[in-house]
Amino acid sequence: MSNFIRNLSRRTIVQALIALPALSLFRNQPAIVDADEIVEINGWILRRSDLA
Amino acid sequence: MIFDSYEAYKQAGFKPKVCILGSGPAGTTIARKLGAVGIPVVVLEAGSREFSDESQDFYRGKTVGDFYFDLDITRLRFMGGSSNHWAGWCRVLDKQDFDPKAWAPDTGWPISRADIEPYLGEVHDILELPDFRPDVPVSDDIRWVQLIKSPAVRFGEKYADELDASKNIAVVLNTYATELAGDGKRVTGAKLWSNGQDAGTFIADYFITCTGGLENSRLLLWSNQRSNGGVVPNAAALGRYWMEHPTFEGGNAILANYSEFEVDGSNEAFFSPTLAAMERLQIMNFGIRLIESPYPNVKKLIADLACTAPDMAEWMSSKLDQKLRCAAQLYVAWEQAPLASNQIELSKTDVDHAGVPRIELHWKKSPLERRTLLEGLRLFGTTMAQKNLGRVRIDDWISNGSDYPTNEETAGHHHMGGTRMGTDVLKSVVDANCKVHGMDNLYIGGSSVFCTSGQCNPTTTITALACRLGDHLSKVISV
Ligand SMILES: Cc1cc2nc3c(=O)[nH]c(=O)nc-3n(C[C@H](O)[C@H](O)[C@H](O)COP(=O)(O)OP(=O)(O)OC[C@H]3O[C@@H](n4cnc5c(N)ncnc54)[C@H](O)[C@@H]3O)c2cc1C
Repeated sequence: MSNFIRNLSRRTIVQALIALPALSLFRNQPAIVDADEIVEINGWILRRSDLA
Repeated sequence: MIFDSYEAYKQAGFKPKVCILGSGPAGTTIARKLGAVGIPVVVLEAGSREFSDESQDFYRGKTVGDFYFDLDITRLRFMGGSSNHWAGWCRVLDKQDFDPKAWAPDTGWPISRADIEPYLGEVHDILELPDFRPDVPVSDDIRWVQLIKSPAVRFGEKYADELDASKNIAVVLNTYATELAGDGKRVTGAKLWSNGQDAGTFIADYFITCTGGLENSRLLLWSNQRSNGGVVPNAAALGRYWMEHPTFEGGNAILANYSEFEVDGSNEAFFSPTLAAMERLQIMNFGIRLIESPYPNVKKLIADLACTAPDMAEWMSSKLDQKLRCAAQLYVAWEQAPLASNQIELSKTDVDHAGVPRIELHWKKSPLERRTLLEGLRLFGTTMAQKNLGRVRIDDWISNGSDYPTNEETAGHHHMGGTRMGTDVLKSVVDANCKVHGMDNLYIGGSSVFCTSGQCNPTTTITALACRLGDHLSKVISV
């Protein structure tokens, strides 16, 4: 066990383990975007889906 | 009867009840209405039957503030007035244009559109218009509106024979009313300039100034100064709240299907905001003119779109391959917020040949209008994208807040305000019947009485108001 891990409290490690699945879930899920949303880019008024 | 000089008129011994100054659309229409019910009318017209540099020179003036047209270029001083070169684009102000807007101070008329609607039949005959179709909602925010391009009736030409044959109307050409004299209750006479010199004072029971949307203010400011307030006793608003329709190219559009909107003979279609959209965004009225672009512009536009939305551009170019007419230029004309600081003043240094001070026009577009331009294009672009009717690109100078370009249309040659209609004597000059507050026998015709400008060309509304004023006076004046 590295010094780093040894210095962490049990409680901190448990908290980190619990948070892990949730964090990875966030990372893998694509941002929720509305394809119909109107965006203005370079003066163009477009639907977000135009940018796909 | 038409007289080519004041001298010739005097010899005819005609006894008018009403004196109208100016023979443009407003003056001619009012004269015809009064003449038709047997009221003898004289129309004093400063110019002659034709354009001349000498007459036009009386219209020179100066503008302070934003770039504007030379004042002797933006109007015409001869029989028929500026109808001699108007484009004939017609539309009546919208119902909502007459209503006050909580977000724009000093808006709202003392009359509603319903007050001029009874006269629209006559206006259609005068301006030779087909019926207007109702507006078509494109979205909750945007209406597809109709602007009729009429045959541009030249009032001087169209009505010359009728006026010449009339027993009740005398048109006196080359006769410049330099000033009205008044005692604070009545106009007592009009001072005339004819044949290069003073021609005495003209007396009539009633006077109606119809000298145009710049000149009405000039004439009354000068008259009031000379009569110590005896012509416009409540003069706080005189010359003020002057308005135009600023007009600039605002962007481009690529259209999914050009046939979606039926275009007119010049391949143009027009769009305006709904009242709900104006309220939500707190902007003024505007008109977007969509004009089919020539082919090279389409290619440039698609190349630009390719940098931002490649798939979209690809789809568009495939449409282009099918030879669809699918791009358009967008011009925006908008309603100016009425501002007391936009005003006509008399020059302190420069006078015309008759000694009347020339106009100094103070004119600036406001931040509210700049927002109207940007938000208006956004509104239109959003509707086009949401409904998949096309895509809009707003010009860079608008998006990034740069100065207005000086090499564009600039404005519509629509001169409005200066003697606006209202109930508050501090903010208006005429009442709902176009009578000058406090005066018994002085009325005003033309767009100088507009309280707000809406987004559309003014002459259809000018003509309707002239019919209404003619009707009103024919009841007030006994034959
Ligand atoms: C290039 C151009 C294009 C236009 N296009 C359109 C359009 O498409 N649609 C639209 O609705 N409007 C348009 N207009 C505006 C339109 O021409 C005016 O709204 C209309 O002519 C105003 O009518 P009026 O009778 O009030 O004034 P005017 O037409 O200006 O007539 C005023 C008359 O009074 C005379 N006069 C002036 N001073 C005196 C005086 N002191 N004594 C005696 N006579 C005097 C003048 O000689 C003139 O004959 C355009 C204007 C221009 C310049």
